[in-house]
Amino acid sequence: MRLTPVVRALTLAATLLLPAATSLSAQSDTWALTNARIQTVTKGVIDKGTILIRKGLIEAVGPNISLPADARVVDLAGKTVTPGLIDLTSSLGLPAPTPGGGGQGGGTPQSSGGPRGLEPERDVARELKVPSGDVKPLRDAGITAVLVAPSRGLFRGMSALVPLRDSVDDSEVIRSQVAMHIGYQGVPGDYPGTLLGVIAYQRQAFLDAQRQGLIQDRYRTNPRGIARPDNDPGLDALVPVVRGQKPAFFDANNENEIRRAVRLAREFNLKATIIGATEGFEALDALAGRPTVVSVNFPQPAQTTGWSYRLSQRRTPNDSAASARDAQKLIEGNAAALNKAGIRIALASGGTRPADFLGNVRKAIAAGLPPGVALEALTIRPAELAGAGDMLGSIEAGKIANLVVSNGDVLGDSARISTVFVDGIRYEVAPPAARPAGGAAAGPAAQLGGTWTMTLNSPQGPLELTMTVAQSGAAFSGSMTSQLGTSEISGGEIAGRTATWTTVIQVGGQTVTLNYRAEVDGNRMSGSADLGSFGSATFTAERKP
Amino acid sequence: MRSSLFILPLTAGVLAAQTPGTADTTRRAALPVLSVAVPPAGTLVAVTNATIITASHGTIEHGTIIIRNGKIAAVGKDLAVPAGAQVIDGTGKFVMPGIIDEHSHSSGEAINEGTRSVTAQVRMQDVLREDAIGLYRELAGGVTTLNILHGSANTIGGQNAVVKIRWGLPVDSMLFAGAPPGIKFALGENVRQTNGPQIPGRPQRYPRTRMGVEELLRESFTRAREYQAEWKAYDESKRSLKKGEAEPIPPRRDLQLDALVEVLEGKRLVHAHSYRSDEILMLLKVAKDFGFRIASLQHVLEGYKVADEIAAAGTGASTFADNWAYKLEAFDAVPFNAALMAERGVNVTINSDSDERARRLYQEAAKAMKYGGASEETAIRMITLNAATQLGIEKMTGSIDVGKDADLAIFNGHPFAPASRVEMTLIDGRVFFDRNKAPTLENLIEQLKHRPRANTTSEGAQ
Repeated sequence: MRLTPVVRALTLAATLLLPAATSLSAQSDTWALTNARIQTVTKGVIDKGTILIRKGLIEAVGPNISLPADARVVDLAGKTVTPGLIDLTSSLGLPAPTPGGGGQGGGTPQSSGGPRGLEPERDVARELKVPSGDVKPLRDAGITAVLVAPSRGLFRGMSALVPLRDSVDDSEVIRSQVAMHIGYQGVPGDYPGTLLGVIAYQRQAFLDAQRQGLIQDRYRTNPRGIARPDNDPGLDALVPVVRGQKPAFFDANNENEIRRAVRLAREFNLKATIIGATEGFEALDALAGRPTVVSVNFPQPAQTTGWSYRLSQRRTPNDSAASARDAQKLIEGNAAALNKAGIRIALASGGTRPADFLGNVRKAIAAGLPPGVALEALTIRPAELAGAGDMLGSIEAGKIANLVVSNGDVLGDSARISTVFVDGIRYEVAPPAARPAGGAAAGPAAQLGGTWTMTLNSPQGPLELTMTVAQSGAAFSGSMTSQLGTSEISGGEIAGRTATWTTVIQVGGQTVTLNYRAEVDGNRMSGSADLGSFGSATFTAERKP
Repeated sequence: MRSSLFILPLTAGVLAAQTPGTADTTRRAALPVLSVAVPPAGTLVAVTNATIITASHGTIEHGTIIIRNGKIAAVGKDLAVPAGAQVIDGTGKFVMPGIIDEHSHSSGEAINEGTRSVTAQVRMQDVLREDAIGLYRELAGGVTTLNILHGSANTIGGQNAVVKIRWGLPVDSMLFAGAPPGIKFALGENVRQTNGPQIPGRPQRYPRTRMGVEELLRESFTRAREYQAEWKAYDESKRSLKKGEAEPIPPRRDLQLDALVEVLEGKRLVHAHSYRSDEILMLLKVAKDFGFRIASLQHVLEGYKVADEIAAAGTGASTFADNWAYKLEAFDAVPFNAALMAERGVNVTINSDSDERARRLYQEAAKAMKYGGASEETAIRMITLNAATQLGIEKMTGSIDVGKDADLAIFNGHPFAPASRVEMTLIDGRVFFDRNKAPTLENLIEQLKHRPRANTTSEGAQ
C-alpha cells in the first residue's frame, strides 16, 4: 500500500487548489467494471457483465451496458464482483471504554467522566474518529461498512452504519441512530453493579419509558392540566425502543444471555435482534422467528455453556479429545444450525481479527452453512437489519457502490480479494506477504513456556498473579493464580510475538471471562486484558529465571 | 414464567424422539430425559418393595409407590402394579421424599447486588444458569428442590427463585410452577458491611449499625405503604371516572415497591438472614407492626433463645446442623438449636447455604437426632416437609402422599446411616439422576475396561 499516502497527498492538494470542491469530488470518478462475474445477491449471478459506477453509486449493472465516454474502464475478466461485506459488530473509532469506579484519587464513579455503558441517548455518529490504519485491515477482508456501537454496558447508546473509507467523519455516516444497543455489563462501583441489577434496571427503564411516552403523548395533545414530562434524554431515547419502533440489539452470546434477552424482548414486545449468538444452537427455540446476527468469533469448547455436562456427554467420558472436537464442530456449525432451523441470519466478526474473519466464515460453511446463505448473511441481511436494505447489500442500480473484487467466489477457499470499492472509491488490496504458518507478524514466534509473575493494573487496584505456561507450537495452556484463586488458561494462541488467551474466574458469585492479549519480548511481556464487567486493565509480566 | 412452560412442549415431542448419541446438533437429543418441565400425560412408574419413609405418616416396609403423570397416585403395601408401568425395583432400598434445600445459591450467575441496601427489584430467576455443576451434584445427593436466595449483603435483598433441579433443561423449565414468590432480607454484620476491608474511594453504605437496619426496614415499608395508597387512589379515580373526563395518568410503577407491597399483602414470603436473638425479636416486631409474617429465619443460630417468640409469630427457622463461630455474631450457637426449636413448636429446617453441604443434607438432618434427640421423622421433615411448608409448596411436594408430585430420593440404605448413598433421584416421576448411568469414577473404570482393543493399540503407538 505504498499508494495510499500518495492518494492522500493528491486529495489534499486538490482540496487546497479547489476550495469549492466537496469531499464528493474524490468519489465522482466514473468506473466501468467490465467482463466480470457479478454476484448480485438479490438478482442472481451475471456470468459476464458490467457494473457502471458514478458519483459513488451503482448506475447500471447487466450483461450489455454501453460504456460512457468518461468512464475509466477496468477489465475484470476472470474476476468476481460481490457486494461489499457488512459487519454489524464493530466499535471502530470509539474511545476505549473507561472502567470508572474505584480507581485512583478517591473519585466517585460518577466523576470518571467517560461513558459508563448507561447512556441510552449516546449517538455514536457524533463522536466518530476513525483512524485509517484501523480501517484498512477490515477493508482488506472485504468489509466495506460496519455498524459501530459501544462494546460494553447495559444501555450503550445508538449505533451508526459507517462506510470504510480511509477517513470518515460524521457527515459520511450511512445511517445514524440505527438501533439501541443493550448488554449485560453493570456500572462499575454503582447500581446496577451485577447481572441481577442490570436486568432489574432494564426492566424498570422500559416501564419508565412506557410511562414517559404516555405522558409525552398526552402533553402534546393538550398540555393544560398535566405536569410536563421530565426532561430526560436517556428515557426519551428508550421510548421508541419500548414501542417497537427502534430496533433493540442485544449483545448476547451464551445460551443464558440469549434466553434472558428474548425473555425481556417478549415481556416488552421489543423489536429485538440478538447479536453474537455464539451458542444460538443451544437456544433455537428462543431464537425462532427472530433474525439473528451470528458471530464467527468461535468460543473454545470449554468456554461454552453446558460444556461440563451436555457437550461432554456426546461421547463417552473417556474420549475427551474427540469430545472436544465434536464440541468445536457444534460451535462452528452454529450458523448452519440456525439457518436449518429457519432463522434468518447475518454473519458478523464478533471481534474476530480481520485477517481471520473470512477464514472463520469458511469454517461455518464447512460446518454446513450453504455458501449462498453465507453470502446473503454478509451482505443483504445485515443491510436490512441496519435499516439500509435499499441502500446497500446487493449489486443493483441505484445502490451505494460498495463492492469486492476477488479471484473466484469471495467465500471460496482459495479466493483472494484484489480490489474493494467503498462509496465508489477504489482501494487496492495488496497481496498478503508470504506468512509463516500459524503466525501473522514477521520474526520468530514467541516462546511463552515457564512461570511468569504478572502485575495487572485493574480498575479495582493492582493485582499480583503467577502464570504457568506450557507451550506446544502456536498453542499454549497453563494456569493463572492470584488471591482470587487459580484458573485454567484456555484458547492460548501465539501469532508472531502476540499471545492471546482467556481465563474464567469467579468473583463475588459472578463468572467473569478475562481476555488477555500480550506482546512478548524475550522474558518480558506487556499487554491488556478485558475484564468483562470489571472493565479493562493493562499488565506487565516477567519470566522467572 | 409459567408461559414458558407452555411454549416448550411444542418442540419437545420432536426432540424427545431422538435417541441418545445421534449426531444431531440439537443438544437435548443427548439427554436421557425428556425436554419438558412436566412429564407427558400417560406416564406410569412404580417403585416396588421398598422401605418408604413418607415424612408425613411414618415408614412403610415393603411398600409400593405408583406414579401417574408425575404425581403419586398410590402409596402403601400390597399395591398391584398397573400394566405398562416402568418398574423401579426398590428391594433393599429406602425411598424418602426429594430433599428440599431451604437455602441455596446454586447456579446464580450473580448472588449479591450489593450496590444498594434495598434491592427488592432484583430477581434470582433472571440470573440462573442451567449448567452449574453444583445442581447435578445436589441431584446426586437426593435434592430435588432448591430455594435459591439472593445473598445477604443487603437489608432487603432480591427476590428468590424456587426451582426443581430438572438437570439438562433450560433454566426456565426448572422454575417451580405454583411456588409463591419470596424475598431475601438480611440483618447484622453482613448488612452493616463492617467485617470486610473498606474499599478506598468508595463511599460507605448506609446502614452501618443494627439501629440503621431497623430504620431502613421501617422506612422501606413506609414508602411501600404510600405507594400502595397512591395506586389505590388511582384505581379509585379510574373507577369513578365521569364520561368525557380524561383518564388519569397512572403512578410510576416501581418494581422495588411492587415487591414490598406484595410482602405487605402477604403474597411474597420473607426469608430473613439473621443470627442474634435481639435482631430476631426486632425483625418480628417490625413485621408485626406492618402486618406481615416472616416466613423463615435463615441461619438463626440463636433461635433457641427465642424459640417461643418465633413459634408464636408463625415463623419458620432454617438453620445449620453444626456450623458456627465463623464470625462474631455466630458464636452463641449450639448444635442442639434445631432440636430445641422444634421442641418448642417451631417449624425447623436444616439448610446448606453451600453447594458442597447440599449434597449431604440427609447427614446434616441426622445430627438433630444426635444433638437434642429429635425423632427420626422430625429429623426427616427438617429437610423435606418442613422446608416445603416454609416455601408454601407443602401441598405439592415434601412428603410421599397421594396427589403430590413424585419427587423422590432412593437410597441404598437408611438415609441417616453413615454409609448410605443416593441411587436414584426422581422429579415428577422422572429419573434425573441414576448412579448406574452417572459418570462416576466406578463407571469410568468399567468403560475403560471394555474399550475396544484396536482403539487402545492405536493410541499406544503414538
